[in-house]
Amino acid sequence: MAQTNNATLIRREIITRLCRLFVEGRLEDIDRIAIEMAPRNSQPGGSRCCIHKARAIIKYRIMALLGFNVSDETDELESLYSYALRALSSKAPVNGVLTVVDEACTSCVKSNYVVSNLCRGCLASHCMVTCPKNAITMDNGQAKIDPLKCVGCGLCKEACPYHAIIYMPIPCEESCPVKAIYRNAEGVEQIDYEKCIHCGRCMVACPFGAVMYKSQIINVLHRISKADKPVIAMLAPAVCGQFRASYGQVVTAVKKLGFADVFEVAEGAVMTAQHEAAELAHVLENGQQFLTTSCCPAYVELTEKQLPQLKPFVSSTPSPMRYTAELVRQKYPDATVVFIGPCVAKQAEARKYPGVDYVMTFEELGSLMIALNVDLQSFESDEAGEIWPERRFAASSGVLDSVAAYYQGPALKPLVVSGLHKKNIASLRRLATGKHDWNMVEVMACEGGCLSGPGGVSSPDVARKLFNAQSGTIVEQAVN
Amino acid sequence: MPEMIEVQICYGTLCFVMGGSAFELIGEKLPDDIKNSVLVKGMNCPGYCNTQDNGKPPFVLVNGKLVAEANLNKLIACIREEVANGTNK
Repeated sequence: MAQTNNATLIRREIITRLCRLFVEGRLEDIDRIAIEMAPRNSQPGGSRCCIHKARAIIKYRIMALLGFNVSDETDELESLYSYALRALSSKAPVNGVLTVVDEACTSCVKSNYVVSNLCRGCLASHCMVTCPKNAITMDNGQAKIDPLKCVGCGLCKEACPYHAIIYMPIPCEESCPVKAIYRNAEGVEQIDYEKCIHCGRCMVACPFGAVMYKSQIINVLHRISKADKPVIAMLAPAVCGQFRASYGQVVTAVKKLGFADVFEVAEGAVMTAQHEAAELAHVLENGQQFLTTSCCPAYVELTEKQLPQLKPFVSSTPSPMRYTAELVRQKYPDATVVFIGPCVAKQAEARKYPGVDYVMTFEELGSLMIALNVDLQSFESDEAGEIWPERRFAASSGVLDSVAAYYQGPALKPLVVSGLHKKNIASLRRLATGKHDWNMVEVMACEGGCLSGPGGVSSPDVARKLFNAQSGTIVEQAVN
Repeated sequence: MPEMIEVQICYGTLCFVMGGSAFELIGEKLPDDIKNSVLVKGMNCPGYCNTQDNGKPPFVLVNGKLVAEANLNKLIACIREEVANGTNK
């Protein structure tokens, strides 16, 4: 789902600037970033009204990147430097992973149905007659919808013989599979953390970049700069596919950034696959109808918040991140452990599990490389690393293939659910009823698997191409 | 045989992260009318990003001419222009 559009690139530019200030010991200049990016007499980008608005938006983006919810602001005059110091002295608030930059949210439309100027103001007025809520009036020879009365049923659109009424989607709401993002009384989008599964779809969908993930990068940089304990990076299997570089080049670069050592999460994925295979054989022999994977944190969150009926079928095997963290702790007991992946939801998983201290995205890793002038192309590609077949965990059906490789038990009837969109969630709801033959179900929130994660560097098609070239494993096409 | 148009993509990490990753698919995305007249190459970071005078990344050279804030559509337009210039000579 990662896309390289202007909203993404601005986020990367801000992350880069933030990292650079920290590394250069100039964090007190953090409030200047907005002025540098939107200087006096410059043109605000997109449809922003003025540079002051553009600066305000940049400020709140940085607030999110410091780990705060934009909605947590109590004093509008609190400087970003103050937020930065708060982020470094204690952990930032832990409710939710995604936050809405309300200044950037344009409150797309008040109602999903809009009367276009194709309206002829006809005598029959089918729209008015059809509307069950009396939300439509004739105003100056054209129909007009009162957004306060409109319930979005769409009957007026169907009724209009001129096709003059159009459906205007609200991209974030449209993309959210669990109705967790909604317009508040002011018409600004808000995230309900009781419902949100941190899949990141709204962030990718918003054309104004108004949804941000809360970053922990400043905390990671702080740990590295203290140099009292080793800071260890764990690279998710989707790392092959992120950069135009070999795995060895990426490892060299990550060490240049200050990480003391690098572990590949595909190593932990071997243990996940082995344990899950044993668990699958055990539960099937004991009469349970099916088992689902548990490595996708957005899916696990879904079963906890939205589909409790599916929860008993979710594997209790720890995710590759957790097994890898155990390997790290065996070698470096006092380490600060940082998971780096394409995933937004992983931060929520890490909070529940004390073995992992911080989570970064690949996008942040790339931005940090830029900030420190680390160029992957400049490194020799000698350290190939062990080629774990479990790198395929990054691609849809890869987890299933790995579990099947270790599995001994009743015949497998596997199902792959690729992408937690509304339709697949409805399928999962049916799955829980048990009226089917499947006995092993792999679920990934992102279409095509982690390679399409919202925190990736490249778009899914590029990531897949690079992954196939770099991972050393053959990955089947995604099952949709 | 017509002159090949040389497209040199900066493979530096900065350009790649700031949008250059899209050029990984340039082979698949070039339209039929030009794809056989283009020679796509990579280059290590020549340092265009060191000064703001060159504009924003990603940087690509089309027949030696610098294209800043490059994207696939922009490159296709530049390549077509080069093709047209070549035939006018």
